[in-house]
Amino acid sequence: MKPIRIGILTVVSTAAFTGCLFREDRAAIGIREGVLHMGNGAEPQALDPHLVSGFTEHKILTSLFEGLATLDGTTLEPKPAAAESWTVSDDGKVYRFTIRENAKWSNGDPVTAHDYVYAWQRNLSPGLGSEYAYMLHCIWNAKVFNEGRLTDFGQVGARALDERTLEVTLENPTPYFPAMQIHFSFFPVHRANIERFGRIDERGTKWTQAGNMVSNGPFLLTKWWPNRIITVAKNPYYWDANAVRLKEINFYPIDNLQTEELTFRAGGLHVTDAVRKSRLPKFRATMPQYLRMHPFLGSYFYRFNCARAPFTDVRVRRAFAMSIDRELITKNLLHGAYEPTACFTPPNTAGYTCTASIPYDVAAAKRLLAEAGFPDGRGLPPVELLFNTSEEHKLIAEAVQQMWKKNLNASVTLVNQDWKVYLDALTNMDYYVARSSWIGDYYDPNSFLDCFLTGGGNNRTGFSDARYDELIGRAAKTPEQGERYRLFQEAERILLDQAPIAPIYLYRRVYLRVPELKGWDENLLGYVIYKNVYFETCGAK
Amino acid sequence: MDAQPQPMLEAEKGSSLGQDAWRRLRQNRAAVGGGGVLIVMLFLCVITPWMAPYSYEAQNLELGSVAPRQAHWLGTDQLGRDLLTRILYGGRVSFMVGFAATAVSLLIGVTYGALAGFLGGRTDSVMMRVVDILYTLPFTILVIILMVYLGRNLVLLFLAIGAVEWLTMARIVRGQVMSLRKKEFIEAAVVLGYSRRRILFRHLIPNSLGPIIVYCTLTIPQVMLLEAFLSFLGLGVQAPMSSWGLLIKEGVETMEDFPWLVVFPSIVLSLTLFSLNFLGDGLRDALDPRAGKD
Repeated sequence: MKPIRIGILTVVSTAAFTGCLFREDRAAIGIREGVLHMGNGAEPQALDPHLVSGFTEHKILTSLFEGLATLDGTTLEPKPAAAESWTVSDDGKVYRFTIRENAKWSNGDPVTAHDYVYAWQRNLSPGLGSEYAYMLHCIWNAKVFNEGRLTDFGQVGARALDERTLEVTLENPTPYFPAMQIHFSFFPVHRANIERFGRIDERGTKWTQAGNMVSNGPFLLTKWWPNRIITVAKNPYYWDANAVRLKEINFYPIDNLQTEELTFRAGGLHVTDAVRKSRLPKFRATMPQYLRMHPFLGSYFYRFNCARAPFTDVRVRRAFAMSIDRELITKNLLHGAYEPTACFTPPNTAGYTCTASIPYDVAAAKRLLAEAGFPDGRGLPPVELLFNTSEEHKLIAEAVQQMWKKNLNASVTLVNQDWKVYLDALTNMDYYVARSSWIGDYYDPNSFLDCFLTGGGNNRTGFSDARYDELIGRAAKTPEQGERYRLFQEAERILLDQAPIAPIYLYRRVYLRVPELKGWDENLLGYVIYKNVYFETCGAK
Repeated sequence: MDAQPQPMLEAEKGSSLGQDAWRRLRQNRAAVGGGGVLIVMLFLCVITPWMAPYSYEAQNLELGSVAPRQAHWLGTDQLGRDLLTRILYGGRVSFMVGFAATAVSLLIGVTYGALAGFLGGRTDSVMMRVVDILYTLPFTILVIILMVYLGRNLVLLFLAIGAVEWLTMARIVRGQVMSLRKKEFIEAAVVLGYSRRRILFRHLIPNSLGPIIVYCTLTIPQVMLLEAFLSFLGLGVQAPMSSWGLLIKEGVETMEDFPWLVVFPSIVLSLTLFSLNFLGDGLRDALDPRAGKD
């Protein structure tokens, strides 16, 4: 007995020891075998495309499902996906999509026009309570159905003419309708799959579990261990399966940026979700080949509560907005991670670049404040600056607090709240100034500008301007792009003149990525088309 | 023969508990050192507003975070604020919170515990069950609720923390008092007809001082760290003001890049806590009435 035991011990320890010495790390094995390991920020709320709302979930769902259209990774022009082609009526209100003949679900069933109609009906069902149902409100009668005022989905503008033809009638001409198809709220679901586990409008059923889920994207769900890993593997039934080069993708919900960076550096990840801004100078100096930075369709800004003194006065709002030195914040505090901005919509959003701006001009700001009756800040009531708990928001808030004190002699208290409490405060307009951000839901300036319609759910500032509402409303009915953008220009000028917000910077995606990873698109939407992604190994052709 | 006046043997002079303690404390080098460090630290923190060349909130974004140099002895933070100045200002908050909250917990805890232990019987049972019930309340949530109710106010922060920190103190004191109550000297005091109050405050509490002081030196750091946690949640000290706990908490985030932001506040905090512990140790030995009068 004893010699055997010693023998085993020797073998095991030798194996373990040499194993440690020569073991390839996870990233190296992944590169050889075509298995992608990526950091994905947080555990997703769910994997049901109609019940999620975040970018974290978007990144996983894009690998599992496929909308009618996709986007070109560079130009962001719509391209055929599950639909091989589509036509638009002359008034821009009726789209007719033709589904690919060989489009298949991961269980081999064909993807049909009925699947899309079913999915959209599900997403719009009042009982489901989908947060993003409003994305579909551009479809004829979708809004009234969603609000429960219409119960017959047959009257909603989405109809399957036959197995392969889907006809969509819209409320207004919506030139960005095909581009919106990359959003998970438009993704199809498999009817039999949904109904095997619950009703059409039942939340949280087991259909999204690994082994249960049927999807139509390039990958299918094979493993979901909450808070540890989500694995998707190549879907053999996918219509374009030959083009899919990765064998597997592993998503890791690592929410601590420090942990994520260490995992990356230890060879555990190929791509990280983000990096800490304070690390940028170090990364630039020591590992520039890994550091990736590219613009992202999002704005970081401060909201003013237009219904609460002193911000009821547009001159006070402008004075506060004009005395933030955005350049200094982005360059020195955030180490160039983000781009300062003087307007709200990011430049070159589907070809639209705002020409109006809120300048950084302390002298003018002081004059405005004096005109409003607070010369040199005298008589200005104390103001609170609200932000959700985070080191980065706090750093920026402290800098802005000091700028307002120095430039306007305003006394500002910082208030930080937990995310949900903070959201409540925003929604109930229980704040003076609040930090905020907006990420475009689709690639069109409308995604930004319709936030500030009077009474809009995302307005949250009490801002209301009849002319602004009229311009955005007219733009929605205008099919011609040049004219639409002219209307948007005028609207954004009003927005910036009225200054319910103070723009600060534009987001960038900043993350680490191994150089062997190719086909990873760097576009404004952070939209990665996983089927194009592959590893380039040294020595390979 | 004229009788020479005999030098009278002087009667041994009585010395009070305080005098004894002071003498014994002075002989304890670690305690004296700890006390010295604390006094210097307190003095620096107190005079800071009149002495510091920088303001705790003056930023210099162009400068950013720099390592220690001549103009900034301990470097600057990410907003370009002088770290030395911020540590000294933070010390004012940390000391205030540490001492005030501990004092509150001492006051409530000792009185409550001593009464429970001394009265015994059913009163004791009821009083200790109340403590047990308070123990089961999630402590952090309790503080948060108190803060939300009473508003964002530094003084209220002291009270809130102190008011929930006294539970363990009460238990310790009760245990001590219960064991002492059966001792002969207390029985002697009872026989002599001393009032309950005199027995409690002249005999029982002074004889429990050891554990009380040791626990106090443990409470102060605990309270300082708790304050940092609450401040992070937005309930305690608000930016741009800071405290040691908060400085360390922020420093940890950028440890790899700006190590001085965590190293110096940590050194100062550790030094203070060490000093407090040494001093507490010394005080415990010095104040023990049972120690010999050598």
